[in-house]
Amino acid sequence: MNSADVFVGLANYKELFQDKVFLGALKNTLIIVVVSVPITCVFSLWVSSVIVDLKGWATSLFRIVFYLPVVTGSVAVTVVWKWMFNNYYGIFNYLGTKTGIIDQNINWLGDERYALACIILILLTTSVGQPIVLYVSALGNVDASLVEAANVDGATSLQAFWKIKWPQIMPTTLYIVVITTINSFQCFALIQLLTSGGPNHSTDTIMYYIYYSAFKLYRYGYGDAMGVVLAIMIAILSAIQFKFGNSND
Amino acid sequence: MKKKVLATLLVGAMAASLLAGCGTTVETTGSSDTTTAPEKTQTTETAEAGEAGGSDVSADITLWTYPIGEWGNAETVDSLIQDFNKEYPGINVTVEYLDYTNGDDQVNTAIEGGQAPDLIMEGPERLVANWGAKGLMVDLSDILDDTDKSEIYESVLSACVNKEGATYEYPLCMTAHCMAINKTVFEEADAMQYVDAENHTWTTDDFFKAMDAVYAHTGQTVGAVYCSGQGGDQGTRALINNLYGGTFTDADHTKYTADSAENVKAIQALVDSKAIGFDASIAGGDEINLFRQGVLNVAFCWNIAQQLNADNNDAGLTNDGDEILFMAFPSEKATDTKLCGGIWGFGVFDNKDANKIEASKLFIKYMADSAEGTPDAVLSSTYFPVRDTVEGKDLTGLYGDVQTMSEYSTLMQYLGDYYQVTPGWAEARTAWWNMLQQVGSGADVQTAVDEFVGTANAAAAN
Amino acid sequence: MENKNSTKHPSAYKIISIVVIVILAILFTFPLYWIITGSFKTNAAINSTTPIWWPKEWTLVNYQKLFSRQTAPLFQFNIPFSSLITGSRDLKLTLTGPTVPAAVRWLINTVFMAIMSMILTCITASMAGYALAKKRFVGRQLLFTLIVCAMALPKQVILIPLLREMSSLNLYNTIWAVIFPIVGWPFGVFLMKQFSEGVPSEMLEAAQIDGASEAKTFLQIVVPMIKPGIGALAIFTFINSWNDYFMQLIMLSSTSNLTISLGIAKLQAENATDFGLIMAGAALAALPIIIVFLLFQKYFTKGITMGAVKG
Repeated sequence: MNSADVFVGLANYKELFQDKVFLGALKNTLIIVVVSVPITCVFSLWVSSVIVDLKGWATSLFRIVFYLPVVTGSVAVTVVWKWMFNNYYGIFNYLGTKTGIIDQNINWLGDERYALACIILILLTTSVGQPIVLYVSALGNVDASLVEAANVDGATSLQAFWKIKWPQIMPTTLYIVVITTINSFQCFALIQLLTSGGPNHSTDTIMYYIYYSAFKLYRYGYGDAMGVVLAIMIAILSAIQFKFGNSND
Repeated sequence: MKKKVLATLLVGAMAASLLAGCGTTVETTGSSDTTTAPEKTQTTETAEAGEAGGSDVSADITLWTYPIGEWGNAETVDSLIQDFNKEYPGINVTVEYLDYTNGDDQVNTAIEGGQAPDLIMEGPERLVANWGAKGLMVDLSDILDDTDKSEIYESVLSACVNKEGATYEYPLCMTAHCMAINKTVFEEADAMQYVDAENHTWTTDDFFKAMDAVYAHTGQTVGAVYCSGQGGDQGTRALINNLYGGTFTDADHTKYTADSAENVKAIQALVDSKAIGFDASIAGGDEINLFRQGVLNVAFCWNIAQQLNADNNDAGLTNDGDEILFMAFPSEKATDTKLCGGIWGFGVFDNKDANKIEASKLFIKYMADSAEGTPDAVLSSTYFPVRDTVEGKDLTGLYGDVQTMSEYSTLMQYLGDYYQVTPGWAEARTAWWNMLQQVGSGADVQTAVDEFVGTANAAAAN
Repeated sequence: MENKNSTKHPSAYKIISIVVIVILAILFTFPLYWIITGSFKTNAAINSTTPIWWPKEWTLVNYQKLFSRQTAPLFQFNIPFSSLITGSRDLKLTLTGPTVPAAVRWLINTVFMAIMSMILTCITASMAGYALAKKRFVGRQLLFTLIVCAMALPKQVILIPLLREMSSLNLYNTIWAVIFPIVGWPFGVFLMKQFSEGVPSEMLEAAQIDGASEAKTFLQIVVPMIKPGIGALAIFTFINSWNDYFMQLIMLSSTSNLTISLGIAKLQAENATDFGLIMAGAALAALPIIIVFLLFQKYFTKGITMGAVKG
């Protein structure tokens, strides 16, 4: 471009960790990961464990339903969610006030207190599809005779789950944790289309801030520096997850 | 196995990526230097030839335009280009339509990708203060002759020419941004007594009284200070600046002054008003939508193009058929109101291709500086011309028979200073939204405004 | 499936769970339902401040608007190296198709992008994965290490360099600028290497002794054995590229080069006021892939599972 590329050493990194907006984005990114990863895993495991025992067609049906938001695509889904969260005529406010759960309209995406939660909710709906497919398959592959044997020995179904099924689906869990983590870190379309990082930077994520720095503020090197921090974070987190996963074996 | 993979993964990712962050971009005002630029560096001196016999110029050029009235509508633009091609059959113009949400990012990525358009249509805050200041634009002084200079209004010209005298925008049309009220609802709420409907003005006192009256009548938010970002910022600025006579920048356009006592008082008054909500979930376009739907009864993002819009109902009516009245922003003395202007015109990106630059200049001359092309080009924008005559043709009666236009032209006398060319504008604009969002979330007004001015002035100083 | 334990007691837990899951399933599919019904609603119904759950009056007006809004050529194909003939870099010979609604072109672009990415990824990844698994050559370990590293590197880190690279290859604002980064994403190589490890080396040696050429060995022995892996990779790549909004946003700018995701985002930005139009665009984006998904649902499920097991 029209700019001289100058080697500035670590200046970008130094500035990065004094940048309130970046630190906020870092925090939001971590919140998204820390909240959405466990919920995705637990939720999809729960759904899978319930639907895996249903009749074949019912299992498929549920699996398809939960996978649909993934194939629909984040952009198409997002435009509807934007309407659903609308302050003035959105469906949540409509149902909420009708049923008396909320006494006045809540500005879901325009309120610092709720915006990030809304983003996480939408992210969840688009990320449980794959884990459910994987868990249903993994649970289906658990040796049924082992479970039966345990039942004969008088184990409760919860015990049977923990002692027999859980160890066997552990590799699947590990894989799900890793991919969900990476996806959560890279959450971008939702933010760009719904909130642009607002209100008051409450939904800024590193991903969005990289884009913002580069193409709104023309700070390409700064954006690169953020990308590096993001890469390192993902690497460290994957390391922890693998370590944790392996020690459980 | 897994551990080994992981170890290599970690070390590698860190090493590979650390270097990437060590570069920085120091902005200079040098010329653009993309690797893809063809090896043609001769400068253009042929622009004037266009007037004589330029019809043999042949080039493919691209025009990117923001939705400026009907200039955002492919049908209208196609017919304008057809007219242009009658005179210049060799120049093939491909048009891309940008929007105010993603348009800037789109242009910026294209610049970075080495594919900036040849022509761009927008206002001085982008053409002069942003891309022009970054050295990406071609100086159009050579097609701005002395007649043009004397014809184009002084205030417009000064916004299109930078401090060094380089012309980065050839202006076409202008308007004053204003606000609008739902007259039908105001009448029902007995609030029209506070409105000077004939002159389209009101005082700050009356404005708040009217707001309260409508609020008491409907029990709902009357107007929303939209602040999700992107577009329509002039409405929020004009509202705040006018209420108690504040300014946005100093007179020289060197620094931002939004932290003055008048502005703080205005923002505080808006925060305190029950009738007005700060809404970080909507942008200017959404606000207009809500106003048209009758959800909001006041719109701060309005201008003549909105008043003439007939997408959902007849022009000047909401979707439900309520009457829309455009209004100047309120100020302590009604006639002291200073409206934010919009000036639109063409700029040329310096893509290092003399032939394309020449063709682009011919296009500009046809659209903005010719007796044949300019009237239609201005009419298509639904805004007002920036000069009384062009190449001997009188433009003052352009909208002679359109009543709304002549009524709207009464607002043009309140046109204020075009301060959008203050350095650091792009950064200031995003910081402005953030300031409004903070205030809307209950932050202390003075603190938030101080932070905004700090950020904006830092950007201005760079 | 034949879990006696659970069928014995259709416990309260189970029933409640199913009810809750049904409710959640409705919430999850609601956006899709709303897109499809919304696209057929009249302006009044869609702008109503109380939700209209089921359109009383069905209309195609939104689709008409969508299709008449902007136009683009059905395809544009730059004849390679045509600049050598014309002698100028700017004058390329282009094959241009008939004019169609821009939305149709977006859909075609998206399908082309997804299928092209899928094919190219499968070809390159299976060959590279096989070589890394079964061939001994200098720098193999280093190469594999680099590939694994690149896998963990988020695309955003290399966003700006990638943009400049595509620009200097003259690919910026072409669909290839989106395809190549997907093909270059090394997860496929990694996956294919894992699958190729399972090909018995004895078979390869036997083929070599029989005098089979390298290509023949690969095509006739390796490929059939890693077929399930290739299938999994194909499905992965297809879904990923279909949903990859970020790269498209950066790399594509002109109307005729947009993908359907970008197209809807643009529709929304330009016409915040026209929800019906936006819903029609969203429906156009969602329906084809959903139909494909429903038709090949079994393979999707299998592919996803297969990829996870080896990945």
